[in-house]
Amino acid sequence: MIRRGGLALGLALAPAGALACALPPSIILTLPTGHYMAGAAGVVALTALWGGAARRLPAFRARLLLERAVFLPETLTSYLSFLALLGLLFLGFTGTRDPMHNLLTLVFWTGIWVALPLASLIFGNLWRALNPWTGPVRLVRHLIGRTGGIGLSRLGHWPAVAGLLAFLWFQLVALSPDDPLVLAQVIGAYWLVVFLLAVLEGEDWVQEGEFMTLYLGFLARIAPFWLEIDGRRARLYAGLPGTQILRLPPLTPSAVIFVTLALAGLTFDGLMETFFWMALIGENPLEFTGRSAVQGVNTLGLLAVWALTAGSILGALALGRRLGRHTGPFWASAGPAMLAFLAIAAGYHAAHYLVTLLTSGQYVLAAMNDPFFRGDALLGLEPFFVGFGFLTDQAAMTAIWNSQFALILGAHLLALLLALHLSARLGDTRAIAHLPMTALMVGYTVLGLWLLSSPRGV
Amino acid sequence: MTTDLAGLKTNRRTVLGGLAAGGALMLGAAPRFVQAQSSAPIKLGFQLHRTGIGAAYGRWYERTTQAALKLLNDQGGINGRPVEIVFEDDGTDPKRGAEVVEKLTTQAGCDLIFGPLFSHVVIGSAPRAGELKVPYLVCSEGYHVASGMLNRWTLQPGITDVRAQVSSMAPWVMQNLGKKVTMVFPDYAFGHDHRDFFTEAVKAQGGEVIAQIAIPPTETSFTRYLPQIPAETEVLYHVMVGPAVLTFVKELGEFYGSGARPQIFGFIDSLEAVDTAAPGLEFLEGTHFWEGHCRVKQADAPEWEGTYRAAVGVDDNGASVSDARDVSTYAHMFSCWETLFVIKKGMEASGYQSTADRQKFVEAIEAMTAFDAGLDHVQGAKTFNGKTHQVFGQQFISKVEGGKLMRVHATSIEDGVYPDAVDYTAQSF
Repeated sequence: MIRRGGLALGLALAPAGALACALPPSIILTLPTGHYMAGAAGVVALTALWGGAARRLPAFRARLLLERAVFLPETLTSYLSFLALLGLLFLGFTGTRDPMHNLLTLVFWTGIWVALPLASLIFGNLWRALNPWTGPVRLVRHLIGRTGGIGLSRLGHWPAVAGLLAFLWFQLVALSPDDPLVLAQVIGAYWLVVFLLAVLEGEDWVQEGEFMTLYLGFLARIAPFWLEIDGRRARLYAGLPGTQILRLPPLTPSAVIFVTLALAGLTFDGLMETFFWMALIGENPLEFTGRSAVQGVNTLGLLAVWALTAGSILGALALGRRLGRHTGPFWASAGPAMLAFLAIAAGYHAAHYLVTLLTSGQYVLAAMNDPFFRGDALLGLEPFFVGFGFLTDQAAMTAIWNSQFALILGAHLLALLLALHLSARLGDTRAIAHLPMTALMVGYTVLGLWLLSSPRGV
Repeated sequence: MTTDLAGLKTNRRTVLGGLAAGGALMLGAAPRFVQAQSSAPIKLGFQLHRTGIGAAYGRWYERTTQAALKLLNDQGGINGRPVEIVFEDDGTDPKRGAEVVEKLTTQAGCDLIFGPLFSHVVIGSAPRAGELKVPYLVCSEGYHVASGMLNRWTLQPGITDVRAQVSSMAPWVMQNLGKKVTMVFPDYAFGHDHRDFFTEAVKAQGGEVIAQIAIPPTETSFTRYLPQIPAETEVLYHVMVGPAVLTFVKELGEFYGSGARPQIFGFIDSLEAVDTAAPGLEFLEGTHFWEGHCRVKQADAPEWEGTYRAAVGVDDNGASVSDARDVSTYAHMFSCWETLFVIKKGMEASGYQSTADRQKFVEAIEAMTAFDAGLDHVQGAKTFNGKTHQVFGQQFISKVEGGKLMRVHATSIEDGVYPDAVDYTAQSF
């Protein structure tokens, strides 16, 4: 190891790691998380039994809350969002180098990647209005008089799969995803590529082939409130979480693969920090050497977790088809069944990033309050110290763990109910056909809770 | 911006803003800077563990450094020039660390670099500083500076190294707690340092380490190791760290129950940034800890101690003034503060004007021998060894009383001094 350098003066005097580690003691490790996991697994299994036997599932009905004219056309909000993006990129290129003080890093990793999905889980697809491509693309196509496409739509969601994979690698494996300059370069280049492709193909392609639009759109399908826009009319609906999912057309093969990758990304994001993973790859979690030492093995890890996730989900679906003696094409049943996993992705995203929201979120507030470091109070907040005291507070951390537990368990129960609904729609009658999927859901529940409660090395 | 209260706002725009006008604005606002040969700001690079495993320390290192910078500029800067600090995240990664050293030197044009804490990052970055011939002042506690492992451009003038810290504990522990010691430590370099340095120091004091219990770093339950503690143990020395520390304390409490237990001595690294009065840590009542700087303000604290706490924004318990649960990395973070004031002394002693004077700056630091306690050296007086590039200071032993760390002993500086292993001044620049 590097610390045992060539200049070591005998064992007793060998220079070594001086500072131990900065990992805060974990209160969650002192909680009876094993009991929580067993309880959750039991609840999911029993719910499956009950649902399979009773054949009486909650009705997922949409209720129209109000109908009104569209106030702000999407093209306009998208264009404003594009202008805001330009401003953030400018800050990324020229602003402070400290990522916790640079609004580009903060808005992207905490705002877009954490806060927006959480808000979308309640209020529906907020990204639709914020999408920085649709407005500019529409405008440019109008200006140059372009109407046709180049056939990109034939690729389905595969470009989004490639985009998501690249994004996950950048987030989880790349050396400095937080660096404002690196982030500005990556976001700028990505925006340009998608912009050019969408100008050639048409702005609707963004919904299909751009990973962020697809991912946030999927997560928002869980929301109990959602807005449907039809020309100049907007209708606000409410319904049980998941109601929108049952109204969706079945997922195409590329969308199924996209969801497996999204789940794998969330799983690996949790897994790669655990003592378990660190021990597996020969890293000491108490003195993690840093990302540069694990880029190769974590790239393989991400791909392996994707393969395992896709394999187990598609395998369970195939086994269920066999036990249920289905004969139709595989994707005809996999597509609908996969919709249920949107609930798991949404629940896990919320649980996993809850603490990030509470920590980095403070930096975002502070930076938005005073973006130019002049002592402004644009949000009306007095200058304040970022405070992480809750991380070592028994009551606060117990409450956070309980929230995460509720999110994970709730997401899996919802996924289970949706799966039962969707299979009923396919005309499944044999209860045993649900067995593989139920087993998988139980496994996933435990995995999610284990990832959140495991000791972590970063 | 984010970590500053109202009183600290004036200068931070010039520090962090990246706005071209920042320097000029500040000069206008702070007329106390005397006319110097160059009135351009002195630009210091700070290698910050903003993300990665060091982030919890990085947050407080930045906060302390911002406070020190404010004070420094209020006092007139360095050589009559205002001072700016460019903070750059190294991800607590040695490869990025070397890149940061290069960026701060060649792109940001910093006069010198300071601030890194984690040993592996320091060891990975220092060679680049040597190649670029830029002064590199580390705040890492590592013995790697004084061991001779690094280079002429790397110095540690702000904090005592771990070898001196550990060795200086032995005399008091032997005389007051007992002579038969059992050590419980994590089984990797950090734990090995404690094992080796303390065992050696105990022997020199006529004591004996009767058992060394090495615990694998990935272990999160300790019940099967505790029975290995010999019954005749008089002092239990522990340096467990990481997420499972609370579990360790809890299980140790269950192991001894309400019966007799040995004296217990630990390093605050285990509970740095953790409230010792938190539920679950009751077992620590009456046990002793090494502290590099007393987290709880002591009754006889000098006047500058209060000024320092107010500037950084920590209360008398060492917690953030805005969140009593948010305990600082108090035993370590003074190193950034003190290093900045050593930089001031070094630049003033060498008549530092531009990057051409970097070598003169290093030589000026090497010529230093002692620092007096005061607002610029808040942790206490120190001696500096120019040959080994390492500073030595007093250490503290505190006892947990009513959940608070109360000082029971302050070592002398000499308690931690050991023979030189290197003479950097004999090396070429």
